Amino acid sequence: MAPFNPYTFIQCPCSDSSPLGRPADSNSPTGSEPEEDERTFDPRAPRSNYSLYPLEYLLYCEDCHQIRCPRCVSEEIVTYYCPNCLFEVPSSNLKSEGNRCTRSCFQCPICIGPLNVTTQETKPPDPSLLTAGNAPHSGAYALTCSYCNWSSTEIGIDFDKPNGIHAQLAKIRNGGEPRLTAKERKERRKELSHRGDSAAVVAAREEIDGQALDLENQFANLKAFYSSQLADPSAGDNGLSTLGDLGFSSPSSLSRIMSLYTGGKLNDNKAKSRLGAMREALTSDEGLLVTDLDESALISQLHLSDHCDTASTEQITNQPPNLGEPLLHGASRFTSSLRPIPYLLRTKRSKRCPVCRHIISKPESKVGTTRFRIRLVAGSYIPSITIKPLVLPNPSGGSSSSNVGDLLTPLTPVHYLLTFKNPIFETIKVTLATPAATPGRFASKVTILCPQFDIDANTDVWDEALKDNDRGDKSSRSSGSHTRQRRGTEAGLQLEVGKIWERGRNWVSIVVEVVPASLRLEDGGMLREDEDVLEIAMFVRIEWEAENGGDDAGISSAAVGKDRDQKEKRELAYWCVLGIGKIKQT
Amino acid sequence: MSSKRHSILPPISQPGPKPPVQFSSTITIADSAILTGTNPITIATESVIHPRAKIESSGGRITIGRRCVVHERVTLGAIGNSSSSQRPNNVTGGGETAVTLADYVTVEVGASIEAGDTYIGEGTTVGVGSKVGAGAVVGKHCTLTPHTHIRAGSSVPDFTVVYSNGMRRTDKRGVAELKNKGVARQIDVLRRMIPSNPSKFM
Amino acid sequence: MSRRPPRGEYIETDTGNKVARKATLVGTQNIMLGGKTVIQPEVMIRGDLVRSIQSSSTSSSGGATPNNTAVAIGRYCFLSRGACLRPPGRLYKGAFTYMPLRMGDHVFVGPGSVIQAASIGSHVYIGARVVVGEFAILKDYVRVLDGTVIPPNMVVPSFTIVAGQPARVIGEVPEGGHEAFELRDLYKTVGNNPHPAPA
Repeated sequence: MAPFNPYTFIQCPCSDSSPLGRPADSNSPTGSEPEEDERTFDPRAPRSNYSLYPLEYLLYCEDCHQIRCPRCVSEEIVTYYCPNCLFEVPSSNLKSEGNRCTRSCFQCPICIGPLNVTTQETKPPDPSLLTAGNAPHSGAYALTCSYCNWSSTEIGIDFDKPNGIHAQLAKIRNGGEPRLTAKERKERRKELSHRGDSAAVVAAREEIDGQALDLENQFANLKAFYSSQLADPSAGDNGLSTLGDLGFSSPSSLSRIMSLYTGGKLNDNKAKSRLGAMREALTSDEGLLVTDLDESALISQLHLSDHCDTASTEQITNQPPNLGEPLLHGASRFTSSLRPIPYLLRTKRSKRCPVCRHIISKPESKVGTTRFRIRLVAGSYIPSITIKPLVLPNPSGGSSSSNVGDLLTPLTPVHYLLTFKNPIFETIKVTLATPAATPGRFASKVTILCPQFDIDANTDVWDEALKDNDRGDKSSRSSGSHTRQRRGTEAGLQLEVGKIWERGRNWVSIVVEVVPASLRLEDGGMLREDEDVLEIAMFVRIEWEAENGGDDAGISSAAVGKDRDQKEKRELAYWCVLGIGKIKQT
Repeated sequence: MSSKRHSILPPISQPGPKPPVQFSSTITIADSAILTGTNPITIATESVIHPRAKIESSGGRITIGRRCVVHERVTLGAIGNSSSSQRPNNVTGGGETAVTLADYVTVEVGASIEAGDTYIGEGTTVGVGSKVGAGAVVGKHCTLTPHTHIRAGSSVPDFTVVYSNGMRRTDKRGVAELKNKGVARQIDVLRRMIPSNPSKFM
Repeated sequence: MSRRPPRGEYIETDTGNKVARKATLVGTQNIMLGGKTVIQPEVMIRGDLVRSIQSSSTSSSGGATPNNTAVAIGRYCFLSRGACLRPPGRLYKGAFTYMPLRMGDHVFVGPGSVIQAASIGSHVYIGARVVVGEFAILKDYVRVLDGTVIPPNMVVPSFTIVAGQPARVIGEVPEGGHEAFELRDLYKTVGNNPHPAPA
């Protein structure tokens, strides 16, 4: 079993609009409180999954003085870039080129490792010619995977140039057949139609039409066909004449329907003038593609192939929407039909507070830099909480848990040290509260031995050292991390209710006592998933005096008021969940 | 010409008997390679043994073919935890042959090839941290990607690529020749870089 | 063979590097340490595999020019027990050459990992038993989970979490997770007179 790492998750208030926790529940020992204030947070409620985050994932809005989570912030894309070549892609290109890298960055269709452009059939470097320095070859290039040794030659694709692979690949089908893009096809046909009807031209035309339609071409043809149909002003029915012939195929009824949705402007006189039943596409030129239901060739190919010749679901889902692929029929499950995957672009995103719309995180737009212009992370506003099992040499009242990751013995008290570290430059007052028993079917008993304490400000270590005299009373108890006040030690390792265990420059440790519940079920039922994990919901309330409005951490842009002399009282309260350990099943 | 002056190489206690060796005169073997065991160790032409590679012949004879590269921290001929009863019947565990590397075999950093008539075919690359179990037969021009585990007694056909936790596919690049040439180039360089001290092991 | 140590598990240099006596550094003249870097026991660094293509084909023992760096490591890096750093090598214009391996600041390399990258940025965490393939590029603030195999030539952009064999992107480093890459505190916890880990 994987060792259990204690964790702390913090609840984002964005899920707070409805009353906390689940409604009064007869199963839950805490469910009987009638008042709103008394409702406690249940970490096991299905909704809790969506509101609990580790501290690192949370941001903080300085204007609302509230925690913000990835779920409630609104994101704005600052930069698009390719994760492989790290080139920025202008957002204007996205519409035309799609959200993939259009340079030469591809992933392997077999193992999704990166593909490299390599020279193929390199002339073996002759030792005697070594000094001459073999010039790059005129030979073809291929994409190869340096992890699983896949090569684009396996699907019959190679390239003339080592750059602009994306554009080259768009013109080659698997197997090496050239492919005309829809645009080229159109141009070619136009060109030929200008040249009259000589035998050669007809042959060339047939060649174009003979090429199997693929997704992109078919769509282009269909689109062209129907738009010409709509534009065709051939006279016919007036769209309302015969109710029996209320054909949706007629452009007039189409436009009538459209007008229902678009607000009526389509159904004008002009539209009425172009009537006439629309027909369906009849030739491949118009986008007709006859389904080929004969799969015997594929079946016989299956007989001859190995397991590794067929593509896995994962490989198929990793495939980009391939415009060159013949849709529905012909799309086989063989690895030979897979194509290199152009890298999906990645983004740098800024984040806004959902309430006040202030930006709370904004990276620099350049791809190469990792700096942020604004980065208001919750970790610099609210204390971090770390959990450590507390080992008492002479345990008072039962044995203590010895190691992180050990299973907890039911009905035996264990002690944990919660260390709160204050990130802000003010002394904070912390008040903790927790239900006496954890919610759910197995109620473990929880006691916070010291639910109220102060944590000294996070003063600069250097400040401390330099201005030792100025600091007066503070320096006595907080000169660096080495002078710790260890109340527990002084008291002969006795756990005292209401006493802090240990304190340092900007941190305080307190003890929480837990009596894990017995996981025995009377009716002999099974444990549900993760029911053996002991999670404590804890309500944390922090109070402090901010020096001046809006500048509680000394980072923000001060734009609030002018009179900042008097201190302002602030408070922040939130639920958090402490994952302590797993209870032994007896 | 001393690698000691330019290196921090903590001493290794010779963990066992000095095995009888048969070296080609053209091999490169680092001073800090570790050879141990009782059975003979044969290394053929132009092969390179990196520093801190360990060749253990206590489980049988170890043969390294031409132009093999054995990287640092490799263990050839480890006595595996797979007991001899698990091996195919025809293998005489620990008796005659422990490990055979054919020509042009590259064994990358930290890989381990267990003793027990284990065979690695020509041109095969055993990836970083891979483990080839006792009695396994790996074909020609195979690629075992890093952290591959070939079970004892199993066989891998020629031109197989083992990747992603044991997936297999066939290498269709057809670059075996080229790859061997590349190994030869690499050996040219390594011979100049690694101070060879075969006499230490004689 | 090695100098008899005046006790202490680590050699501490003027620039604050802490190099375990039981670490194997081959070709130290080609290994650059930025300072305050920890090299734990059983780490191996192959500084002897220097770039060979521009240097003349004379014996490697003699003229090691200052530019001959094979492995360059920044400040506050932490190489855990059993890690191995070696420069990547490839055929270049028909000849084989090794290329330097460069590593930024605050790079943690987990136990038993093998690194053959071309470059590793700053604030990078590499877990245990990871293989970083030849010529891979890891940018800043990258987290590589345990057991990952990063294929050769892969580029891992900043703020990426990768895992798997072969490696794939599985997540993004959150804004609040940048400080966790800082290795100053870890540096203090090892050495001949280590400080206890801070609370």
